[in-house]
Amino acid sequence: MSNLAQLFFDAASLGGLYAMAALGIALIFGVMKLVNFAHGEYIAFCVFALIVPSTDAVAVMFLGKAPALILIPVILGLGAAIAVASEYVVFRHLRKADPVAMMIASFALGFVIRNALLATYGGRPKAVSLWPGLNTPVDIAGASVPLLQLIVILSTLLVVTGLALLLKKSRIGLEMRAAAENFTMARLLGVRANRVITGAFALSGALAAAVALIMVTQTGVADVRMGGQIMLVAFIATVLGGLGSLPGAVAAGFLVGIVSVVLQAWLPLEARPFRDAFLYTLVIVCLLVRPQGLFVPASAKPRV
Amino acid sequence: MRSQHATNRLASYSTPLILAVLLVGLVVLVAVFGDRSLARTAAETLVRVTLVVSLWIFVGNSGVISFGHAGYMAIGAYCSAWLTLKPQSKALFLPDLPEWLMQAQWHVLPAAIAGGLLAAFIALLSGAAILRLSGIAASIATFAFLAIVNTVYSNWEGVTGATSSVVGLPRYVDHWVALGWAVAAIVAANVYANSASGLALRATREDEVAARASGINMYRHRLLSLVISGFFTGVSGALLGHSIGVLNPDSFYLGITFISLAMLVIGGIGSLSGAVVGVLLLSVLIELLVRAEQGISINETQLALPSGSQEILIGIAMIVVLIVRPNGLTAGKEFKLKPQWLRQSRLVGAKSTN
Amino acid sequence: MKRLALASAVAALALPAMADDITIGFAIAKSGWMEAYDTPAATAAKIRIDEINANGGLLGRQIQWVEADTKTDRQQSAKAGLQVIDDGADMMVVSCDYDFGAPAALSAEAEGMVSFFLCAEDVKAGIQGVGPLAFSGSVLAAVQGATMAEWSNAKRDAKTGYVLLDTTIEYNKGICSGFDWMFPQLDGTEIVGRDTFKNDDASIASQITRIKALPTEPDVIMLCSYIPGAASAVRQIRAAGINSLILNGSAVDGSYWLDATPDLSGFVVPVQGSIYGDDPRPAVEDFNLAYEKATGARPSSSYAYPGYVLIDLWAKAVERAGTLDGAEVTAELEKMQNEPTAFGPRSFSSELHHQNTAEMQIIEITDGAPAQVDQWTISTPVPLDVLLGRN
Repeated sequence: MSNLAQLFFDAASLGGLYAMAALGIALIFGVMKLVNFAHGEYIAFCVFALIVPSTDAVAVMFLGKAPALILIPVILGLGAAIAVASEYVVFRHLRKADPVAMMIASFALGFVIRNALLATYGGRPKAVSLWPGLNTPVDIAGASVPLLQLIVILSTLLVVTGLALLLKKSRIGLEMRAAAENFTMARLLGVRANRVITGAFALSGALAAAVALIMVTQTGVADVRMGGQIMLVAFIATVLGGLGSLPGAVAAGFLVGIVSVVLQAWLPLEARPFRDAFLYTLVIVCLLVRPQGLFVPASAKPRV
Repeated sequence: MRSQHATNRLASYSTPLILAVLLVGLVVLVAVFGDRSLARTAAETLVRVTLVVSLWIFVGNSGVISFGHAGYMAIGAYCSAWLTLKPQSKALFLPDLPEWLMQAQWHVLPAAIAGGLLAAFIALLSGAAILRLSGIAASIATFAFLAIVNTVYSNWEGVTGATSSVVGLPRYVDHWVALGWAVAAIVAANVYANSASGLALRATREDEVAARASGINMYRHRLLSLVISGFFTGVSGALLGHSIGVLNPDSFYLGITFISLAMLVIGGIGSLSGAVVGVLLLSVLIELLVRAEQGISINETQLALPSGSQEILIGIAMIVVLIVRPNGLTAGKEFKLKPQWLRQSRLVGAKSTN
Repeated sequence: MKRLALASAVAALALPAMADDITIGFAIAKSGWMEAYDTPAATAAKIRIDEINANGGLLGRQIQWVEADTKTDRQQSAKAGLQVIDDGADMMVVSCDYDFGAPAALSAEAEGMVSFFLCAEDVKAGIQGVGPLAFSGSVLAAVQGATMAEWSNAKRDAKTGYVLLDTTIEYNKGICSGFDWMFPQLDGTEIVGRDTFKNDDASIASQITRIKALPTEPDVIMLCSYIPGAASAVRQIRAAGINSLILNGSAVDGSYWLDATPDLSGFVVPVQGSIYGDDPRPAVEDFNLAYEKATGARPSSSYAYPGYVLIDLWAKAVERAGTLDGAEVTAELEKMQNEPTAFGPRSFSSELHHQNTAEMQIIEITDGAPAQVDQWTISTPVPLDVLLGRN
């Protein structure tokens, strides 16, 4: 039984990470049909904000030195700030543009951020020791789990419930949900577009920051390319879950994480390097079976 | 007097001519005035023209964004490598190739065509599944296809050499070879776009429901355009491989996917001229910035941009173009001779259609 | 750094080089992520060039250098190669990594010019993957893996080994192939399991679960990876409470990433020379000081050293051949058997332009502090079949 428990914790913690990232992508897609390829760079930016800008090999902690109670809100704020800033500088001017043009602009923005980080910090990955204590293993249900995995699972649940409450109970949340379902209609009914969009970007950026904190605690390194892979998975999860559906994105994020862990655990050694090929084949199959997404709102059905 | 429709048609066939003249002119300029490094840049740019024009054949006509084309490139590139490498080096590095492929040592041209054909075949297979989807779901599926190709080619030890590069490809692709293929792709793209299938496909791009109601089988036209697009994409992959001389699956992944899409969108996704203009503009800009990084002498003072600033500036330039012209530089218009001109010079027009 | 930057600026301004100067062309990454690996090795190469110039030059001529940026891009690499050739290079130094150096090296090959990879460790970075005039200044990855296998068995009594391979790049596979060749040959040893991961995996929890499921913890874990993936894997392995000795390739050398796993112990790296000031060979520390004087900081990993070695070897071959001609210099290089250098003896042959055996320094990290604990040369050179993946 302990093996299954172990598998559960491995899968849930990776799934939680993907779910958070997917939520960040889905929020922005919902309000302005933008597939934000710069999301991965927001993650990298937040990680690098922990250390002093320098191209030296040895990283010196900068924000990372602050106690958690200050550090966490500051990094979340920073993530929100860069996302809002990018909306203000780039995407605001592209509101009327085709989603494809916006997507390419987001890719170009990510390219700028990534290369700016490279120029400031150098190409060598850096070590960041953030809360090493969180990696101590604890025993639960016969499985030995690093404390961090539990924290990831808990904080995903926390973030998702928090967000759900925010979206359900608050005025801005209501507006955001309305906007995600039908933006034009929402605007006609008096939803203020700028407020909703800025709010969505801020939340999305804060989610990127949360992902960044988890990844850096887990891996102990900062690398400019570290957000890329997770962003792609999140993007896929968003579509799998059903575009415009925030709960769908979360569920699909978890699903991709779980399938990935299960494949790694159960595939024979020779097939294991091909893990991602199996994963993406499943993605295509899922899309073919349910093109509108696995967990879809009624509004997503195309009306003729 | 020729009918209005016929002259319009004739005018639309002038697009590839204008684009070809533009490219030939550039290559001649480079061949006469440029150094070797510039000649390579020209070859590289023309390979990109081939790629982006192929991408346009599918994306421009169907309106479906494809992230999967780098996968077709990889397929074409490796196929050409299997056919042209020396049998000894294949035995050394790719021991699991089937015997006939191991012994094959083709000329580079049929090998490039074979690469294109294999890519077209895979496009047919993958498209048959993926193109049942529409919109963003189709795009994600093309991305999944790319990830599958990349994973397989990065791990199939005995056949693709996995992450270890395939070496020893003859480096025959200079600016003239690349020019030939770029023009061929442009002509094919134009012919397809003006064919019944191309027109039908563009109708589905504008309004899927209305086109369906008019009896257009969207799936079939999309598949046909993907197969043609896959062929030239495969060829462009083969050209890229034979221009670098070393193949690695990493060359055919996200980097090239995004840069080719960016070139297409910045030039203007709605027109073939846009695809070519996007490549030329961004390539020239990149080359200028790279040279600026190396330093320019003005009045004996050495001015140079700091290393790495080229990437940042090109990203900013792309954003600015998109903000100023969200539909791309050409905004969906083609370069073509004005129909009036063709009507006035009826004689010339009649001759050229004979 | 300033002094070198100044020197290179002067060199660039002095173009075209004076007719009787010898010119070395550096087609290396000066931007992009490869820059972090190319710059230290290129700096070391320039230190050796300055030393040679100070001692009266080569064939009585001074050595100049020209540079072109590959921007960590394959296409740009080919162009950078052509550019340094057009700028009058007599010999070419290319990027550390095979993939990013080869396009430039192929251009050198076509010109009949000798090329040296700064620190490539794949057998292809030489005759097999470029041509008869290409060399590498470093030691093959498989030698590093084999060194780890033999040393851990002899000195730490390792009997059971676990292989954890990061399939992202070829270098990693080279390390593991050396280990896989050597370890089972030794007395009473067994490889008890193996697994793969990818460098950018957000978590390797399921790989760790598999190690923990073994009946007994393996004596050693051969970790074939590079930073950042390796640092992340180590952090997660230790966090899971696995205490096996972790063996690595040279790519993880350097203390700069140790913060990723504070108080790390039982972590071993084979290197060509120690950057920590405790190398038993005084020449290594002399170089470290020269490097510090040139750049203001000590080398951050042992990957600076191959740059110094390659210029040293090439200059010796040129001196012996009495000419810069590619074929004749190559013939002299191929005659080198256990040619002494500051970092141990080096050999080339007409079959292999690489080191298939080398004296490696063993660096062990204990309580977060790296120190040289031993040195080791494998008992048999790694055979060509293993290097080419035919075993």
